[in-house]
This record gives sequence, structure tokens and C-alpha cells, in this order.
Amino acid sequence: MIQESARRISRQSAIRLFAQEYKEASLTEEGSGEYDPSFVITKIGAKINRALVCGVIDRMERREGDSGPNYTGYIRDPTGSHLFNVASFQPELHPDFEELMARFENGDRFLLALVGKARWFETEDGGMFTSLRAEEFTEIDRECYTNWLVETAEATLRRIDAHSTSLEADLNPAALEAAGVPHDLVEGIVLARGHYGDFDPEGYRVGILQALSMATGRTSLDEPPQPAAPTLDEATQPEAAGEQPTPEPGDAIDMIIETVRSRDAGEGVEYNDLVTALVHAGHSRESAEDAIDHARDQGEVMEPRFGFFQLVPE
Amino acid sequence: MTEDGRYATQVKIVKQECPDADEGEIVQEFRRYEEEFLIPPEDALRSVVRKFQAAAGMEQTKISAPSRAEMKVDRFSELGADDRNVTIEVAVITYTPRIQMVRGEERQVAFGWIEDNPWEGSDNRERWDFKDWGEQAENLAPGSVVRLEGASVNEWNDKRSLNINRTTRVTVLREGGTPATQVSSDPVDIATASANEGYINIVARLISAKPDVIVKRDGSGELDVVRGRLGDSSGSIGFLSWVPLEHEPGTLLKIDGASVRKFRETPEINIGDRTRIEVYHDTAFASMEDLSQANKVAISDLRNGMRDIEVTVQVESWVQRSFSSEDGTERVVRSGDVIDPSGRCRLTAWCEVDPEPGDFLHLTGARVQEWQGSPDLVVDDAAQISNLSDAPWESIDPEQHWVDVDLTSMVSGGSRRGIRTSGTVVAVRPDSGIVERCPECRRVLRDGSCMEHGPQRGEEDLRLRFVIDDGVSNASLLMSKDASEAFLGVNQESVKEEIARDGRDGFVASLRQRVLAQRFSIKGRSIVDDQGAMLLADETEQIQTTAADAANDVMQRWGVVL
Repeated sequence: MIQESARRISRQSAIRLFAQEYKEASLTEEGSGEYDPSFVITKIGAKINRALVCGVIDRMERREGDSGPNYTGYIRDPTGSHLFNVASFQPELHPDFEELMARFENGDRFLLALVGKARWFETEDGGMFTSLRAEEFTEIDRECYTNWLVETAEATLRRIDAHSTSLEADLNPAALEAAGVPHDLVEGIVLARGHYGDFDPEGYRVGILQALSMATGRTSLDEPPQPAAPTLDEATQPEAAGEQPTPEPGDAIDMIIETVRSRDAGEGVEYNDLVTALVHAGHSRESAEDAIDHARDQGEVMEPRFGFFQLVPE
Repeated sequence: MTEDGRYATQVKIVKQECPDADEGEIVQEFRRYEEEFLIPPEDALRSVVRKFQAAAGMEQTKISAPSRAEMKVDRFSELGADDRNVTIEVAVITYTPRIQMVRGEERQVAFGWIEDNPWEGSDNRERWDFKDWGEQAENLAPGSVVRLEGASVNEWNDKRSLNINRTTRVTVLREGGTPATQVSSDPVDIATASANEGYINIVARLISAKPDVIVKRDGSGELDVVRGRLGDSSGSIGFLSWVPLEHEPGTLLKIDGASVRKFRETPEINIGDRTRIEVYHDTAFASMEDLSQANKVAISDLRNGMRDIEVTVQVESWVQRSFSSEDGTERVVRSGDVIDPSGRCRLTAWCEVDPEPGDFLHLTGARVQEWQGSPDLVVDDAAQISNLSDAPWESIDPEQHWVDVDLTSMVSGGSRRGIRTSGTVVAVRPDSGIVERCPECRRVLRDGSCMEHGPQRGEEDLRLRFVIDDGVSNASLLMSKDASEAFLGVNQESVKEEIARDGRDGFVASLRQRVLAQRFSIKGRSIVDDQGAMLLADETEQIQTTAADAANDVMQRWGVVL
């Protein structure tokens, strides 16, 4: 009846989100036209073309490519790390990155704010990795970082709220808006719920609570009991792993097998749930992630579908 | 636990990995992660180890790049037996779903035939089997043409087929089966009609109608038209009828097959030969009294091209000037700044009216015309203006009058003056700093040349350009020389010196460090058009909030308990 008026391509806003939500996203939307934006859609429906992320710098690397150097780095927030890169065709960013990297290599660590565009790549087994291609970045102070934590906690709460509101409405834009889902979240939620099915966003609350408690002055939540001697996966390089298996990854792997055994109702156990179980048992998030990789690589558990783990049939 | 003992467990591990690292420095690093970067020691472990490994010159693991290029092909024959992440457009020939038991769970899989080269005749196509693991039944209807992204090739007994995986994206390029549903011909309300351009049917009450003439551009004569307004409970809209309209104001009309077009920025209903109009009866429909409010607007509602509106304003300043018009006659125009609780604009009067600052004016039948990107009110006849003796609101102090507008409302509204909004800087434009302007037209020169006036000796000017963003909406932020100097706290000369010393890149980098990811409150005016929203700042200041207070607000707002 009424034609859509001519679409204008306007700048996409920078979504505030924590690393965990971005990392777990596996749905993407590529624009059909040459200049149409592409998006990563998270499990709770953030539709991301551009993001503003902050955190401590964690690894910076230069690679020499055919068309010049390109750079990779990680920025860590309370929930995990954002992978970002600077492409060879962004020479205007190279001096700034080099300058920060020189400091990094001298052992300096600092907080960074980064605005980047959503990128992703798929692995051969169908796994999806999300990353950000830097547009602008700069060092920030702690105050700016904590303000970002609060803003991002609120943005995430708003998305969780909209996601749960959407569960009570039909999955179409008009019904969602009528149910009170904010206009900017409607499209993402329709796509997310269509793709990820039922998803319980409770896992994202941990990061929110952590961010808010940091901002109110506590550095972290009730810390999980310390394992006797937590292990460093990275120390256990593939060669070394065979020679010197430390007891703890073994514990973690038993825990993984046990968790999958007890919780798998047929669909498999979700990656996130496994991590949570391990963290509750006292492993750090990172060692939990690595133990899961380890368990899968050793054939203790299998991942028939990306992100879902099952026991290997006897 | 002593301060140092707090990190004992982690320090031990770091020492295992980096035996030469100094214990004190390790503790120092963990404390820094915890206090400055807010990362507890158990989570900081990997980072800290890496740091000391690097310091000791030890081999580090590289960030792996499992990236594998997407493989885009037109024909099946281009595919190898191991290809994954394949992108191809295919025609779906058959689709047969089936429930399969996979490790004790029931899963729906489907198989069928697809053909490549879908846009050509079927004699030049190759047919393959496919298997759908992704429950894509809705997108793979027989007869449709789809683009598959992230499919993989499967080879079994020398026969190749395509797997559509759970992560495969299926985009329907041409629907199979029945065509898309027809658009409805139900009447819409005026609010809906105003939001889009195109053909519509509406039921609305005729609020006003008066004959008018349009002079043809080619000078071949005049056209009789009728202009007026239509209203319903959702709002009102102007109309332009190219055919005679005999109905009296107040009549309820059913109008089929009119079109909505935009005149400047204001939607208008066009009634032509093919539009059918009939009198409609509905006793529940909003009456003329209900609708009389419809064309009363506030300054914040003004849009270029509006006509016949009613608005009340407070006069801030008033001047008159005379000029010679094209035909040589002397004309006088009066104008001034006016305000209301919703904002600020200019009022131009082509008639004798001389209000004092502070007076309240009630305008009827006013029109809106854009001047330098802002919508301004225009009145042509003194009879349209009445000077109110009763103040409609407590007198507003123009100096302090800034209307708070959040970014989303600003971006989705019209151009406005006298507003205050806030956002986080997410981009610093690299052309911030000293620019050279054309002495003729003030355009920024590129390579010493003006788009309009050719090579020029430019005049130096200072300006800053950022993008502000609140996570939902964004706008360009532009600061002219005065606003920039106030913002930077230094004058144009100092900026010029800084750029001469550090280069433009250095200046922009230090600017970026100062503003990127920081929140600002901006007073100024907005210009909203097809290119997006731009904010011309009079004054920009950093928002000082303590994170703890902000966090407590957030927790209260969302009912979060730590």
C-alpha cells in the first residue's frame, strides 16, 4: 500500500557490549548491496555493525602481509577478550598502533578504548569467530573505563530485558514493538530468536554484576575459592603437555565429562554452561575455556554442533 | 593475608614459567591488573605470564588466525571435494524433510536436488544432491532461488553433494511457490500516511479548503487547485487537489487512491483525476472541535514546508530592515528570534508588526521556510498575529533557555535551535584543526582550490569535527572557531603552532586521546536532513560523573542487587 521511502544509508551507532556477548555470537547478516552494512547479531539480539569497547590491552602483534603490515590485539573486559585488528589498508592507524605496541613490548600495560566495525570468520568445522576492525582507538584512564563499564552494563541489561519481553509476544516486529521492545532492538531480536532458539541470558548477568561492582569500588565479586594451584594452559604447550601433565587440567576434564554426562538431555551441553560449571568449581574462566578445548581435542568430549558438547559414544 | 601473599598462588605459577622474573615485579604487575584494570589475579594470570615471557625473550604463542577465505563460485564444477565455506546461488528443485535419529535424539534433516546457474534456462545447469542439516525448510521451498553462504562439499562414493549446515546462511533471492501477499487496500490513519510516500486510502475530516492557483513554470498559464487540511484523531495533513473539491469543511470523506508526496520536508496528500472521493458516515469519528487542536504546533514540531499552522511564541529580539526588491520597489522585512518551552526559531514578518522583546505572539496561518538549515516561521499579514496580554507561560529567560533533547529524539526530529543533548565521542574526524576557507563562499578549500570558485588564497579557520553516539543514535558534532577555542582552551594561533610542531596527525591523535570514549554535553542547534543529523555546538563540556554514582543509578533503574 505504501512504499518505503528511499532508504538512506546513515552511520550505524556504536553498540556497547562486553566481550562475552560478542564472542558467543554466531549469526551474521551481510548487506545485499555493495554499500549496505553487515552485522553480527548476538544471542540477545544486539545487531552490531559498529561497537565501542574498552579494556586492558592484552597481546599486540604485527604481521607482514603482501600488501603491508597488519596488526592484531586483544582488549580484555570483565567477561573476556575482544579480538581486534588493524588492516594493511588502514595506514593512518599504523603509527598509533606501533607506538602502543612499543610500549606494550616494553612491558607497559594500559587501558584502551576502541571503536571498531564488526568482522567475523568461520573455521572449517563451522565455528564462528567475531572480531572488530579498528576505526579509532586511544588510551583511556580508569575513570573513563569504569564509566564505560556502567554504560555497557546498562546497555546489556536493556537488551536482556527486551529479550525476555519478546518471549511473551509473537515473533514479528509489530508485535514486539507493541509488547514494549525498544525500536532499535526489534530487528536484532527477531533475527536472534529465529536463529538461536531458546536462550537463557542469565549467563550475561555475571558480567554485568562484575562490571557494576567494579564501578562501585569493589574489584571483583565473591571470588571463587582458589584452586590449590591453578594451571596455566599456555604453559602447557602441545609438546610439553605430553611430558608433564599437571593434575589440574585432568580435574577440569573429569569435571567437563561429568557435567556433560549429568546435564546432556539430548541437545548437548552449551559451552557457556560448561565454563560456568568450571568457574564455580574454582577454575578461572580462561583455564576453563582451555580445558574445554583440550577435552575436545583429546576426544574426551565431542562438539557435534558448534558450542554444544556431548559425550563420545562408547 | 598479607598484601603480597594475596597473589602467592599466581606468583608461583609465573615463577614456574619464567624462572628469572623478579617476584616483586610479578606482585607489582598483579596488583596493577587488579587495581588499575580491575582484573582479579586468577584472570590476569595468562596476561602476566605472557608479559614476563616476553620480557625474558621467550617464545610466545602467536594469535592464531583460523580465518579461511570464503569460496565464492557460480558453478558446481568449480568446487573441489574438500571445499567449505562455499557461497553459491542455486535453484531449489525438490525438498524432502525427514526425521532422523542422531545419537538418540530426533532431528529433522532434509535432502533434495539443487541446480546451479539458477538465472539461466534449465538446459545449462548442473544438478546436485543436497542435505539440509540446518532446518532451513522455510527458505528452501522448491522453485525458489537462494544464495547459500557457508555450505560445504561432501564426497561419497565419488559423488559430490552439498551440505547446508546449521551455520549456513540461506538468503531467498526469488520466492518459490505462491507470490508474496498483495498489499492491503484498507484505509490508514494520517499519522501512518504521513510517515511514508506512496498511494494510500484514508478516511478523514475536511478541516479547511480554499482555492489557490499555481503558476506553471514554463509560463504557459495558471492552474486552479484547492489547498487545505484533512484531520483524524492521529493528526492532520495538508492536501493539494488538482481537481475541484466541492465539499464543505467539516465533511467526513473517504478518499481512495490519493498519493502522499513530500513538499520540502512536509508530507502532503495529492488528489488527482484518479482519486475517488465520497462522503463517509461514522458518528464515532473525531468532530471538528476535537480536530481544531490539530494544527496547533510547538516550535520543536516545525518542519520546512508546513503551512497553515497555529503557534504561540515569546519574542526575544526584533529588528527591521529594508531592501530593494527585484522590480526596484522598496520592501521592509521584520524578523527576530522567538522562543517557546520547546525551543527557539526565527520569525519573519512581511507585514507591519513591531513587538517588544518579552511579548507573547499568537500566530495563525503561519508557514515554515528553511533558512540555513533551520525551519523558520513566516507570516505575511498582520491579521495573522495577535499580541497576547495573558502570558501563556511564565516568561522564559532566553539566555538560559536550552531544551534537553536526547540524541534519538534529536536525530528522528526536525532541525532545531536552542537544544542541549549529550553523547560519547566515537570518532574524531582527521580534518579537525586548521582549515582554509574560500574567501568568496566560506567553503573549505581542497588542495588550495574551491569547488565553486577555483584556486583561491584561503582564509584560515579553526574547526573541530567529531561523531557523538549514545549506543542507539549518533550525530556529527561540528564546532566553529569560537566553540573550538572555548572547548580546547587555547586560541587558533596555538592550535596552528601545535599542528606545525606535531603535524596534523599528531594533533588529531592528542585530540582523540582527550575526547574518544568520553561523554559530553552539547548546547547548540541541530540540522537534520537526508544525510543524517548534525549538531552545531555553541558550547561543549565534558560530563563529570563518578562511575560509582552512575552504577548505583543503573542498579536502581534495573533492580539489580549486588
